[in-house]
Amino acid sequence: MSEIKDSSAKAEESRTEKDWKEAKAAFDNLKSTKPRPPKPQNAVTIAVSSRTLFSMVWERKVFKEEGVEKYVAHHMDHEDEPLKPGAAFPFVKALMNVNSRLRELYPDSEELFDIVLMTNNHAQVGVRLINSINHYDLAIERFCMTGGQSPIGYLKAYMTNLYLSTDSKKVKEAIEEGIAAATMFLPEKEIALSDTQLKVAFDGDAVLFSDESEIIVKQHGLDALFEHEKQFENKPLAQGPLKCFLEALGKLQRKFYAKNERLNCPIRTYLVTARSAASSGARVLKTLRSWGLEIDEALFLAGAPKGPLLLKIRPHIFFDDQMFHIEGAKEMGTISAHVPYGIGQKYNKSKLIEQPEQPAKKESPKKI
Amino acid sequence: MCWFSFSLQKDADHAVVIAVTSRAVFGSGADDDEVYGEGLAFPLLQALQRVNEHLLMNNPAELLLFDIVLLTTDSQQQQQSPRIISSTRHYGLEVGRFCFSSEEDFVENLLKNNVQLFLSTDRNEASQATQRGVLSALLDHQTASCPSEQLKVLFFGDAVIQPDTGPTPPSRQAARSFSAQLGEMQRRFTMSDSPLSIGLVTWRGGRDSCADALHTLRSRGVRVDEAYCLAEAPWGPILSVFRPHFLLSDGFGGLEG
Repeated sequence: MSEIKDSSAKAEESRTEKDWKEAKAAFDNLKSTKPRPPKPQNAVTIAVSSRTLFSMVWERKVFKEEGVEKYVAHHMDHEDEPLKPGAAFPFVKALMNVNSRLRELYPDSEELFDIVLMTNNHAQVGVRLINSINHYDLAIERFCMTGGQSPIGYLKAYMTNLYLSTDSKKVKEAIEEGIAAATMFLPEKEIALSDTQLKVAFDGDAVLFSDESEIIVKQHGLDALFEHEKQFENKPLAQGPLKCFLEALGKLQRKFYAKNERLNCPIRTYLVTARSAASSGARVLKTLRSWGLEIDEALFLAGAPKGPLLLKIRPHIFFDDQMFHIEGAKEMGTISAHVPYGIGQKYNKSKLIEQPEQPAKKESPKKI
Repeated sequence: MCWFSFSLQKDADHAVVIAVTSRAVFGSGADDDEVYGEGLAFPLLQALQRVNEHLLMNNPAELLLFDIVLLTTDSQQQQQSPRIISSTRHYGLEVGRFCFSSEEDFVENLLKNNVQLFLSTDRNEASQATQRGVLSALLDHQTASCPSEQLKVLFFGDAVIQPDTGPTPPSRQAARSFSAQLGEMQRRFTMSDSPLSIGLVTWRGGRDSCADALHTLRSRGVRVDEAYCLAEAPWGPILSVFRPHFLLSDGFGGLEG
């Protein structure tokens, strides 16, 4: 009798043990439903600063007026209050959506976007940043909080493909080190953006391409440019700082095409250039073709303002090297990112900001 | 056997005793000159000294200072003991104690001298010390030799947040009290003028693991200045940018692999 009881007690015990193990395994699985971030060498790494990800206007004021100690203390006092979204927030959400679609089609691939928070902030501010990331459930698992040290070395360590910051000095440094980078600006109005498709708009000269044509316009005028471009139509332009980022986007797009998802591709790219299709457009398209790159829509404005067209496109980010285009886009609600590269930085519209070393030319440069 | 440098004696109740091997500070090259050449840990020693200088500048009566013990286990170097002492004088290194031991009983020496952190370039030595409950860190070319003005300490967060299953090993106790003392030193300075920078790196897990480590260190009175959450990205490139003087792993320092 006791033997039967013993054995049934043992059976009961082992059943309980098995149940417990299964429950624990299920719970452990629940904890790790987050997908593992890809290895940096496989991923398209986008580094965002804290001020592009979140809007910290008030806190910035505290930093400027009261110093770093008060600034950090302020964040620590408000640690559980999530920060408001910043200029790069919609871009990050759109990247996350692309990743979900990629994971559906290629569950074992590491060719994904990897979003890294790259901030100069002190690690104690980092706690509030992590809490805010948790609040919005953003897919950001990697970060560098350098407590004031330069982020450039870390950008390289993460094999960063694109760096977004509100600090133009850091952005310039990154570009000089060969890393695609842009200074982000918060638009003046909020407009509705697609939540199923990442839309990226690029200016051409001094962004995707080098500034060689910009130099001609600034120094010799628009007509000289048109003649020059027709003459050199078949010679590819040299590459600009954002060319490699377009390339990375193209590579991910082709993964969707390979699965017959061209019409439903969650990435769309735009070229928005002041060039005119008739006179200087061909060289641009031929250059892209020679690089093996595609752009979904090429829009030649022939000098017309970019703002209204961008409002129609509604990109999650628009890259341009000239601040007056950025201002125009911002005013109408487009999220703009300035690429501080090339000769355009020395001019405000068509007026020279600083004297060049070359002798002055007779013709006054026309606005491009 | 230990020789004391009387003028540099620190208050035993408050000082943070750090032992470094002379092999790490002076290297093993046999120089014909009177003094040894600078070794891997030379910049580290200078950084420790700078922290002391800043502490004393703020408060000339400060007792919470680093007390440096130079340990020689290398028998060749032991024969050159006068040269070791004169070399430290030559470079202006403030060494409170010179200890000469064999490989067999150097750990006894560490314990007798109340050493709170042992720094060596020899993995075996560091491992032996840890097993006897002395917090140790392994020095190599990625650490120690950083020429930074600030003393840069890096905590390996994965070890910091390990659950307390069973009795706490003595080396972990040692790590906790050492980090609490570092935290105490940090509080003597403001963020913008600190000669000491405390970093945290986490490898396993994601942002939540790093957040846990930040909170844990905070609860021990350590204010982390820089944090790096790797989420399994390779740490070599990150470490070569951060360049800590030493890495603490809540027990045995030195990342495996």
